Amino acid sequence: MFTFSESSEKQIEKIMKKYPVKRSAILPLLALAQRQDGYITPEAMVEIGKRIDCSPAYVQSVCSFYTMFYTKPVGKYVIQFCINISCHLLGCDDLLEYTANKLNIKVGETTADNKITLLKEECLAECSAAPVMRLNDTYHTNLTREKIDQILDSLD
Amino acid sequence: MDKEQVTLTIDGKTVTVPKGMVAVDAAKTVDIDIPVFCYHEKLGPFGCCRMCLVEVEKMPKLATACTLNVSQDMVIKTDTPKVKKGRNGVLEFTLLNHPLDCPVCDKGGECPLQDNTFEHGPDLTRMEYNRAHHDKATPLSPVITIDRERCIACQRCTRYSDIIEKDTALVMLNRGFHNEVGTFNNEPYDTRFSGNVVDICPVGALTNTQYRFKSRNWDLKNAESLCAHCACNCNIVIGTRQNRFMRVQAKSSENSVSNDFVDDGWICDKGRFGYQFLESKNRILDPRENGIGDSRAGVIETAKKVAASFKKIAEEHGPDSVGFLGSPFGTNEELYLYQKLFRLGLGTNNIDHKLYADSPGLPVDHYDMEDVESADLVLTIASDPTEELPILDLRLKKAVSSLGTKLAVLSDQQTLMDCFACHSLRYNVGSDGTVLQSLTDGLGKKGFKKNKGFETETGIESDAFKELIASLKKSTKVCVIYNPEKLTGDSVHILKSFLTALDKNSEGTCGAIPAAPATNALGAMDMGVLPDYYPGGIPVSNAAKIRELWGDSAPVTEGASASELIQKAESGELKALWIYRCNPLVDFPGGAKLEQALKKLDLLVVHDMLETETTRIAKVVLPSNGPGYDEGTTTNIGGRVQFRKRGIVTQNPADWKILGAMLKELDIESDYRDSFEVTSEIASTVPGYSEVNRKNLRKFGHQREKVSNPKVPESKGSSEKAPDKNALRLRVSNYLFAHDKILDASSSLAHHFQTSSIYIHEDDAKSLGLSSGAEVTIKSDWGEIKAEVQVNNRCNPGGALVPYISDEQGVASLLNPDGGPTWVTFKN
Repeated sequence: MFTFSESSEKQIEKIMKKYPVKRSAILPLLALAQRQDGYITPEAMVEIGKRIDCSPAYVQSVCSFYTMFYTKPVGKYVIQFCINISCHLLGCDDLLEYTANKLNIKVGETTADNKITLLKEECLAECSAAPVMRLNDTYHTNLTREKIDQILDSLD
Repeated sequence: MDKEQVTLTIDGKTVTVPKGMVAVDAAKTVDIDIPVFCYHEKLGPFGCCRMCLVEVEKMPKLATACTLNVSQDMVIKTDTPKVKKGRNGVLEFTLLNHPLDCPVCDKGGECPLQDNTFEHGPDLTRMEYNRAHHDKATPLSPVITIDRERCIACQRCTRYSDIIEKDTALVMLNRGFHNEVGTFNNEPYDTRFSGNVVDICPVGALTNTQYRFKSRNWDLKNAESLCAHCACNCNIVIGTRQNRFMRVQAKSSENSVSNDFVDDGWICDKGRFGYQFLESKNRILDPRENGIGDSRAGVIETAKKVAASFKKIAEEHGPDSVGFLGSPFGTNEELYLYQKLFRLGLGTNNIDHKLYADSPGLPVDHYDMEDVESADLVLTIASDPTEELPILDLRLKKAVSSLGTKLAVLSDQQTLMDCFACHSLRYNVGSDGTVLQSLTDGLGKKGFKKNKGFETETGIESDAFKELIASLKKSTKVCVIYNPEKLTGDSVHILKSFLTALDKNSEGTCGAIPAAPATNALGAMDMGVLPDYYPGGIPVSNAAKIRELWGDSAPVTEGASASELIQKAESGELKALWIYRCNPLVDFPGGAKLEQALKKLDLLVVHDMLETETTRIAKVVLPSNGPGYDEGTTTNIGGRVQFRKRGIVTQNPADWKILGAMLKELDIESDYRDSFEVTSEIASTVPGYSEVNRKNLRKFGHQREKVSNPKVPESKGSSEKAPDKNALRLRVSNYLFAHDKILDASSSLAHHFQTSSIYIHEDDAKSLGLSSGAEVTIKSDWGEIKAEVQVNNRCNPGGALVPYISDEQGVASLLNPDGGPTWVTFKN
């Protein structure tokens, strides 16, 4: 069973007022559910569907379109590597593999201590500073192996 | 009102079409084929597959013809080198990851991707890398298999689920390269209309599980026929191979032309997948006497012998010692001949086919199903289209959501249409007479006044009721859809006076659709399978007219109705009963007493398609071929008469042939060479059917003229009080996938079967101390059944709703045999 927390409910009230069409609220509600549980469970999708008069399938369809919504549990830190053209040309594949080896996991997995999740990401809209990765809400640009070492070491 | 027309040029041909039409459809009118994948005429423009690229003068780039609204003087070219190159490129791209397993693909031979590639595509691929692979055949539901590798992501199926079905159960998941068709949490996609995605899939991604690898489509013999499950009479195509059933498809633009007067090109899953009965082991193949079947005894010989026995009994004990119990499932021809046999051959009006009160004809226009879309207010009364007439459900949803029609639902139970309605009024079970009378009075001069008595009796708030009356009055076109079967007592007569009042007092036009759910319910009424009416709604009291049409020997006294026939069997007055395609032991109230009554008969003949409880006790059993094998016309709820073609040939004689032989045996001239000769006789004798002929039955069928409406009998009214305060009034509702003789245990729709439940209101649950999930025995004065309690307010307090979910459930045994109200109590 999924229920929105009390503080989420207050926010939902505000969110719903913003949109003349209920289902426009789908993205903020998904974000809210993710913030609450860390990822979006099928139960949460059913609940959101009820709030905005949509089928749970529609909610899942939207949810799965965006890579920033997680449908599986993730670690405390989520690293998302951009693999689109600019980053690709500047060697993101190598850096991604390097990171995966360093963390001893495959891309898409979470470390055994539930600390770091490593994911691929489509364009992060930061081509001018490629290669780029996103660590939770921060961008790290012009990546090199050394920079990655530093970043990973700085995580507690 | 005609839409504004525009004239344009397509490939040098001048075309005049309504403004706003898309270029693909405009081209079709002059036989120019623009290839498409994602576009479907019923789904509207989308433009995601890019297959329909065309060149338009003064446009810098190629445009997609499926999203291009034509305008005056537009010049479109579909066969320039630029267009050819564009299409070639699109197809090369579409085929990048397509597995090309055409030799083993069910769609091969009728596949738009195959056809378009052959016509417009490249003969080689420049793809150097491995193709992407997905899981091959995966069940999307027990009846649909999905092969995601073949999918070209045209989104026809997901848009169908959204736009037509309105429940968005099938969606595109993920994005980009990982884009795939799926359902929420991998649940099965098992809606009531899921099968249509198989028809509209332009590749072999969505396939019919039953039909997989059974045949190549070019080996199929396709018969354009009618579905025989409900009274919508949707147009279907039955595919057979070497005289064996293979599949059912909707008749649509994919294989022919859709019949927009009836089904709009869609069919429900029961129509598509519920055809196992065609090859059921319960089919009656040989005539049987005293329980001994004999394949050598001819059907016709046996039938003639029985007809002679009936004649003998009628001569010995008087014509009213024999009776006929028909069925709303027979064709017009069969029912017509049966009533002729009993009326003219045996001289009795002991003929009936139903248990509820109704009379033929309407005091207002009889609307066709298409009128639902052009009406501005549709009022459904006691009707549950979703479970009873699924295609009507789709049409209502379409009308409400895209054509601006308003829907008002007046019912004693919650239905799935409620969420589309602007007026949704729920009356107490059994109070329909009062509701309809108040509605009639409310439309009159005095109007409706707020009234406490009305509120307590019906459970409807006065204000909401007033609003409904106001809407009815000011609408320009009102279409009333009512299910006579679910009105209690004789309130159907009050409903007819309501229709008269509506016609008189509303500002616009109005009409009605009598929506009884059985296949040919309207046809059975029109064909006079009634104790008090001759075909075409001529009452037995109109002796002059009857003598003129049917001769001097035609009986003009009212016969016994279905329930009276059973009573007379019990009292011994009735000596012989002929039952045609009807199973009273399960469908009629009475339980064990009913069986005893039928066993008292000297001669019980059952002419049916499948073995039933009743065939087991019959003295003589005759085989009836039934849908798939038989030919004849049926009349749908909109009064549209259509011809049902056979798909499979059988050696057993057709019912009209058996009947012809019996008529001859009783010295009535009958020399029918095919079913159409019976149809012509119907046209010449049955008022309303005079225009029905072979020619206009072709293609879309023919809407019969309004059957004359004799004076509607006065309603006797009824006022019943609960016998004790713990008793609830029973309402039996319909469930589309009920486990009956047609959908038996071997049916591929068996996953839809439900267990016996009773739905009660929370107020009653509280006072009776019941909660959801409790197993109870429901008791009435006549019988008892087991069910699980569901507390969910599907009906008002005081009512108890039991969906008819299977023959075994035995819900008919609870019912009051004299047609009055049934009160039930609970036993833990």
